[in-house]
Amino acid sequence: MRYIAWQMLTGDRAKYLGLIFAIAFSTFLMSHQVSIFCGLMNRTSSQIDDVEDANLWIMDAKTQYLDEVKALPDQDLYRIRGVEGVQWAVPLFKGSSRVRGQDGKFRGVILMGLDDASLVGLPRSVRLGDPRRLQDPETMAIDETGYRFFFPGEPYTLGRTLDLNDHTLRIVAIINSSAPFVNLPVVYTRYTQARELVGRERNQLSFILARPAPGVTDAEAIRRITERTGLKALTANAFGWETIWYYIQNTGIPINFGITVVIALVVGTVVAGQTFYLFTVENLKQFGALKAIGVSDGRIVGMILMQAVIVGAIGYGLGIAMTAGFFLATGDNLDLRGFRMLPEIMLGTAAAVFLIVFMASAVSVRRVIVLEPAVVFRG
Amino acid sequence: MLIRYGMPVLAFLALAFAIVSTYRAIPAVVHADPPSSPPAPAYAHQVGAVGMVEAASENIAVSVPVSGLVTRVAVAVGDPVRVGQLLFSLDDRDLRAELALRESAVALARSRLAKLEASPRPEEIPPAQSRIEEARAQWEDAAVQLRLMESVKDRRAIKEEDLLRRRRAVESASARLRQAEANLKLLLAGTWKPDLEVARAEVSQAQAQVARTQADIERMQVRAPLSGKILQCKVRPGEYAASGALAQPLILLGRVDQLHLRADIDEKEAWRFAPGTPAQASVRGNAELRYDLTFVRVEPYVVPKKNLTGDATERVDTRVLQAVYALPPGAPLYPGQQMDVSIRAQEGVH
Repeated sequence: MRYIAWQMLTGDRAKYLGLIFAIAFSTFLMSHQVSIFCGLMNRTSSQIDDVEDANLWIMDAKTQYLDEVKALPDQDLYRIRGVEGVQWAVPLFKGSSRVRGQDGKFRGVILMGLDDASLVGLPRSVRLGDPRRLQDPETMAIDETGYRFFFPGEPYTLGRTLDLNDHTLRIVAIINSSAPFVNLPVVYTRYTQARELVGRERNQLSFILARPAPGVTDAEAIRRITERTGLKALTANAFGWETIWYYIQNTGIPINFGITVVIALVVGTVVAGQTFYLFTVENLKQFGALKAIGVSDGRIVGMILMQAVIVGAIGYGLGIAMTAGFFLATGDNLDLRGFRMLPEIMLGTAAAVFLIVFMASAVSVRRVIVLEPAVVFRG
Repeated sequence: MLIRYGMPVLAFLALAFAIVSTYRAIPAVVHADPPSSPPAPAYAHQVGAVGMVEAASENIAVSVPVSGLVTRVAVAVGDPVRVGQLLFSLDDRDLRAELALRESAVALARSRLAKLEASPRPEEIPPAQSRIEEARAQWEDAAVQLRLMESVKDRRAIKEEDLLRRRRAVESASARLRQAEANLKLLLAGTWKPDLEVARAEVSQAQAQVARTQADIERMQVRAPLSGKILQCKVRPGEYAASGALAQPLILLGRVDQLHLRADIDEKEAWRFAPGTPAQASVRGNAELRYDLTFVRVEPYVVPKKNLTGDATERVDTRVLQAVYALPPGAPLYPGQQMDVSIRAQEGVH
């Protein structure tokens, strides 16, 4: 019986391929769009993810997300250090500045100021140089996009200089940064240096990074910090999600992508469903003959489901490979870095695809069940 | 045949590729340790503070009594100095000129006094004596003339008028003699005492003015108010040194054999602080390097916090309670260095 089902499915090459490609493309469309959406949303918390050595982010109680910061008074750092359960706490500056190259080219950058003594928040993924040299005066670390913008087509070399707010800084490291949402270059420097660069504002302590003492959970440390200082404390993960949710709730991006995903789903369902339905309808004669020789309805349903699963699986495999291939091919592009297919998307797309084929086969199955075997011999 | 069976095989390979590349693309979640460890708390319940290393004497910004041009700097930064040692000199040329003037005034007053003390001039005595002789001779002559007339027995032979004139002449000569004698006496008596006193007073006044100018010159020499070390020397010959509190002290001086740490405790944390509880301070850049602190005192007045940059336009952030601790001797620390301080919180307060 299974062989017959297989023969029926693959007998007509055009229909067979048509079915597979309909499913493959809707798989590709869905997984690709969802991946791009997730990647884009993930970018909003890139600078949080790049801080690998601190668990907790402490900020003003009313802070909504990463990019809009109300600075804390410097003394708050020492209040946080006074909270029991905090192993250490260091300042972090996050702001924006403008970098000017020696040829007059300029570009806005995301400026990160790391604690002078410990350099907590230092990116660990380094292309060239030693970011610890940031402790030297008037130095900076720039990410690859920034370097390529200011020195296009030139090999990576250290010791070049760029101007930030009339300060000439020497590049001591070229780093890999996770792409920021607005895709600006990221510049790292020391906290005190960063404060000098942005000029005189009364409070400039953007964030405090902290780690709970051994044996104290993140949640417990957060509770104590909030209780003692009234400041908001979040784990890096929670802060990342808060930032992502801010963008989801306050920008048109999710609606835009949501519509695309829904369209992909609808188009995938309609095309695959219709193709599969037509395939079944065209094979009604064969099913009628099977019924006439006494094959039970259950068997026939099993055959149809098997056909659905086969085309679904083949189509899905090809489609998901197209998405994976896309991200593999674009992996080296600096402007598209950070975009990848999440395993969750793979699984979700698989679920969606099989939902589509089962829905399509369900419609077809109805036609076969109600079929009078005599029909076969009438025409 | 190829398509029939090729598609499932292709799909299987494609799926395998997708799975592998997706899992490879998952970024490794790293929980790295900081490049150099930030200061960890020393006590279960602690008050965190930022501290600045200073000399035990506090850092003394040496000032000048009057503004002036610097002509000489006698010390270099890092030099040990004893109390009273010359640090630098200001331009005192005008004062030296004035001193010469004052000194000549003393000489003048002195000679004036000497002159008064030296009188009578011996050469003046013989003429005075001669004048007495002369007066006496005149008197004797007049007396003889009178006696001759009086010795005439017949009063009619002489004129009454002549007699009277000769009597007057004797009286007059007698008076002149007395005057000459008195003049000699006055001459011999020398200078009147109050005149001498005035002259002496004038001498001491002139001397006092000299002393004052000398003191002014001495004030142009800026000296070390205590024994210690030159922490900062921002004065150079040829520069103008203004008096009063300066943003950039001319010379920063302090006793560095014992270093203190001034810890700024946020006013919001001040209630958790108790004087005398154990405290530790760690060096920036190497949190492993910790020093036990000995409590010295707490400044009772809560001051606006400065950012410890030394800038005159420093931003007031909040108010802080300042506690002073002694650092262990011999610690490789420098005045002006910032440290992270952990102070054990007051008992029973968390």
